[in-house]
Amino acid sequence: MQIRLDPAAYSVEAAEKAAYRLIDRIAVLVSTDASAIVCEITPEDPALIDAFKREVLDQQLRLSIRTQTEDVRNLILAFAFSRTGLQQ
Amino acid sequence: MTRFLPAEEFAPKAYALLPCRFEPLDEGLILSNMAGEPMFIDRSRFEALVQGRFSTTDPLFPELRAKHFVREPGEQHPIELLALKVRTKYAHLADFTNLHLFVVTLRCDHSCQYCQVSRQSEDKLRYDMTPETADKALDLVFLSPNPAIKIEIQGGEPLLNWPVVEHIILGAEARNRVARRALQIVIATTLSLVTDDMLYFCRDHNVLLSSSLDGPADLHDRNRPRPGRDSHAKFVAGLTKARDIVGADAVSALMTTAPASMDRVRDIIDEYVRLGFRDIFLRHVSPYGFAAKTRSYAAYNAQKWLEFYKEGLRYILELNAAGVPFVENYSRLLLTKMLTPRDPGFVDLSNPCGAGILAVVFNYDGEVYASDESRMLKEMGDASFRIGDVHKNTYKEIFTSDALLTVLDESFTLSAPMCSDCALEPWCGTDPVFHHGMTGDLLGRKPASEFCKRQMGAVKHLLRLMRDNSDAQRLFRRWAGC
Ligand code: SF4
Repeated sequence: MQIRLDPAAYSVEAAEKAAYRLIDRIAVLVSTDASAIVCEITPEDPALIDAFKREVLDQQLRLSIRTQTEDVRNLILAFAFSRTGLQQ
Repeated sequence: MTRFLPAEEFAPKAYALLPCRFEPLDEGLILSNMAGEPMFIDRSRFEALVQGRFSTTDPLFPELRAKHFVREPGEQHPIELLALKVRTKYAHLADFTNLHLFVVTLRCDHSCQYCQVSRQSEDKLRYDMTPETADKALDLVFLSPNPAIKIEIQGGEPLLNWPVVEHIILGAEARNRVARRALQIVIATTLSLVTDDMLYFCRDHNVLLSSSLDGPADLHDRNRPRPGRDSHAKFVAGLTKARDIVGADAVSALMTTAPASMDRVRDIIDEYVRLGFRDIFLRHVSPYGFAAKTRSYAAYNAQKWLEFYKEGLRYILELNAAGVPFVENYSRLLLTKMLTPRDPGFVDLSNPCGAGILAVVFNYDGEVYASDESRMLKEMGDASFRIGDVHKNTYKEIFTSDALLTVLDESFTLSAPMCSDCALEPWCGTDPVFHHGMTGDLLGRKPASEFCKRQMGAVKHLLRLMRDNSDAQRLFRRWAGC
């Protein structure tokens, strides 16, 4: 079964992370062509394919959080571990 | 004209997202912030929040702000507070090793199913720790920078090598007169061989006893065979004597969850209550122990254990509701991580992994292991987690050994696939010895990992109870000490 994701809405990373999360149940091969991110999924189980689609959405949301908060995350970690001795 | 402006007037006009992770929980989501504080939210609101469409007048907005999931653009205060909380969570790491286990003998009067290490042998020289080895290990213990030192003396059955037990206790006290740490010494014993003299010694040296109780007599004796089939009776007799001589709270009990325990959790808890214990640890026990010895691994997977744990917790909630205060310790550890900024520093629930840096094991022959499970693996022929030898290596060599650093590095969850994105990560651990034992890989593939299934299952169960049951929520706050 093949799923084609619009690269304007999804990233390859989201597809790969979703595939990893379901690695115990399905095998997903992620590639790209000129117009889409292509996910080749086996076995063809409709429930698992739905689960994969939901997971891609979640992973895309996670990436969006990361992009928005990466700088502040680094700032918090820098504050947290300055002068603790843990950074040596 | 109204005297007060409506609340919306005070809401910030805009917000900026702070770092957070989420995980599906039933129809909704559970969020955790960088310091591991949880919050429930529905999916559509959370999507709006991430996409910048969330209304600052929404009733959830104050909670999102108070728990540091959002801040006003440019606001510095939440960043400093979060940093402080993160720092508090990891502060214990700077103290380094607290728990030091001494395996004073492999000999044992029991031959328990799950145990990979005990030996039924009369050959003392072969499997007993010598005073010289104990001294070398003690010297290393007091090189730990930790202001609190806990020494746990175990076996086999440590009482079979009592002279060395005494030697360790006296040696630790002597060293501590100079080192001045908060020293706590515990002997892990089945109590079957305990004598009055031993107990008076424990009383005089403030030594606590950690014992084993697997449930009612039939179950306990089945799990813990010994000549005479009287393990439970001996335990009860030893317990009574120890409470009389050492003190009412001097004895704690640890339960080994065996395949035969799976349908008996209420009986097990009843037995703990009957014998005057106020808590229990419904712990999962290294499955490769059972797997290797009894080939009964299927009887004891994450799913089975979770059913056992949930049923036990249900019963404990019932007991508390009926006025019998009783605590489940695995939940207490998780809840402390979820509801407070403290980290209880429990070896299996730590990241970086607790092996070596929170706890270390000195084996009877002087070999040093990163954890108790790792010396079990060694007895099964896998010495991957041997990090040194008290007779050959210095403190620095042991604690900066490649064997230890590789484990710490390769099992680190904040850079691990799936864990790094998981909202449960702040409450989880990494357990590289388990993953190595089961799959040969320190990290394990988390989607297929029994450890991950167990953690996800237990944490989500606790979260659901907190969300749906106000009595449970109150009780859990008490357990966590908040
Ligand atoms: S082991 Fe599982 S539950 Fe724990 S942090 Fe990793 S993904 Fe989350």
